[in-house]
Amino acid sequence: MIETTRGIDRTAATVLIVGMTFILSPLVIALIVATQSYDEFVAAGGISLLPGQHFIGNIVQIATETNLPRQVLNSIIVATSSAAIKCTFAFLATFALVFFESRWSKLIFALTIATVMLPLDLIVVTTYQVVANVAMPLNWLIELGWYASATPTAAPHLEWNLLDTYLGIAAPIATSSTSVFIYRQFFLSLPRAAAMDGAGPLRFLIDILLPLSKTPLIATFIFWFVGGWTSYLWPLVSATSSEMQPAIVGLSRLATSEPDRIPEVPMLMAGALFVSFLPVVLIAVMQGRIVKGLNLSEK
Amino acid sequence: MRQTFYSGGWLYAALVAPILILIFTFFYLPVGLAFYWSFFLEKPFGGGSQFVGLENFARVLLDAGFWSSLWRTFLFMMLAASFGILLALLLALAADRGIRTSRIARNVLIWPKAIAGASIGIVFTFIFNPFLGLFAPLNEVFPGLWNPRIDGADAFATVVIAQVWTGIPFNFIILLSGLQTIPDTLIKAAAMDGASAWRRVRDIQLPLLTPQLFLTFVLEFVQTAVDPFGLIDTMTNGGPGDSTTLLIYKIYTDGFHSYDLSGAATQTVLLMLFVIAMVLVQFRLEKRVKYER
Repeated sequence: MIETTRGIDRTAATVLIVGMTFILSPLVIALIVATQSYDEFVAAGGISLLPGQHFIGNIVQIATETNLPRQVLNSIIVATSSAAIKCTFAFLATFALVFFESRWSKLIFALTIATVMLPLDLIVVTTYQVVANVAMPLNWLIELGWYASATPTAAPHLEWNLLDTYLGIAAPIATSSTSVFIYRQFFLSLPRAAAMDGAGPLRFLIDILLPLSKTPLIATFIFWFVGGWTSYLWPLVSATSSEMQPAIVGLSRLATSEPDRIPEVPMLMAGALFVSFLPVVLIAVMQGRIVKGLNLSEK
Repeated sequence: MRQTFYSGGWLYAALVAPILILIFTFFYLPVGLAFYWSFFLEKPFGGGSQFVGLENFARVLLDAGFWSSLWRTFLFMMLAASFGILLALLLALAADRGIRTSRIARNVLIWPKAIAGASIGIVFTFIFNPFLGLFAPLNEVFPGLWNPRIDGADAFATVVIAQVWTGIPFNFIILLSGLQTIPDTLIKAAAMDGASAWRRVRDIQLPLLTPQLFLTFVLEFVQTAVDPFGLIDTMTNGGPGDSTTLLIYKIYTDGFHSYDLSGAATQTVLLMLFVIAMVLVQFRLEKRVKYER
């Protein structure tokens, strides 16, 4: 380097260590308390940074006495399917938008990108009504047709309730179409030569584009998987039974059950770690790939 | 460079149809329905609906609770977004130096992305608990100094801190990747000219980082309008009083606890317009900032 950088580097290292402490301390506190038994916790009268011996016990209690294992499975299903829908649909559409000549492309791009501005949680009240009967727009069409033909009998009414189903929970989460933007940036950066040998569109999509896009596809899939896992408000209202609730919702229900006594803090902390373990490991292991594949910088 | 070389037709339609059907059903339909309902009085258990013109809006806009929760939403957006981005910027500038610590920091600093607001909310509730948590010893010396269960300002602060915690990863990733695209030669040349590290941050890195900073502000404003729901629901339930009732939480309780669907839809419309307005203001601001690479 051109100058002596010891001082600056030391400052930078201090900043990073302070930042990591801020991020890690709630997790470390949760981990330590999760190793204590309820009696130890009550005896200590609050936070004590002495690890206990009951971590396994607390986890076993979570695994056997609560619905959380089942709910973790729900989380896996919901997160996987919403991420898969997001990646597949966006990949196909972006392929069409970038590589096909069409005057609709601009409009479709705008329609998909607009979903980023209004997150699902914002419109959860009316999304609930839509998912309660997905056939709603079809009913409108039928009624319109009935009016037009002046049939005297009442129009048939279709019902298709997706509340409390995996599809109903996952599909609205999958609408946010940030992936279109990311794939578009990536497709535009590809060398044109990749498609010069005159292959048809589907051949090109499967044999050339798909293998080339492995990095952004894996990165976005993990990112949306984690996003689906951590979503809360929508699953809270759309999963009405405990059997269908994802783990995050299940955990929050545990936390609100008993108002009067000192809460079962060690078990709750163990639960918080239990439901966060898989996505955190995924993010930690895949960090390099995610950052590389998202490629959020404008170039 | 133009990449288009296939022509439209059925295949094009088949490729874009899935995403269009998905976002029409689960995004545009709910958005449209919210606007529709804001002009109708909807009976909760399917008793039909009645056109009421602007009555719903009048009702909501004359309700002091709506304005105070909108004001708190605005305050929350400003505080959480500014602190979150400033902190992420500092960390990104430090991590960009390529020192030994930055390798591990890049990994650890994005962990909160994987932890739901509702689960970390439960942890923070305990940490900030006035009798069991970190500040319990302080409270014994100065009784009543810290009590987010009674003091609304304390409660608001805990939610802001938790939101900053959950918001760091995304801002950090965007800002760091922006910093890393700045050519090293620029920085080295400035160092040769005797510019100090702080001077280089101010005159080279920050100006060149404007697009990413802009992006983080837009996304952060959208996120802080809705994200705190998980935190509020697990940490404060909107209380004490209604000191942490942000609009997103009020919409939820009005719609799903009080079954006031028209009121909730009307407030949804107003919150959507508010978020869109905030984003548009930022786009206007961005036009004023000139940056070149």
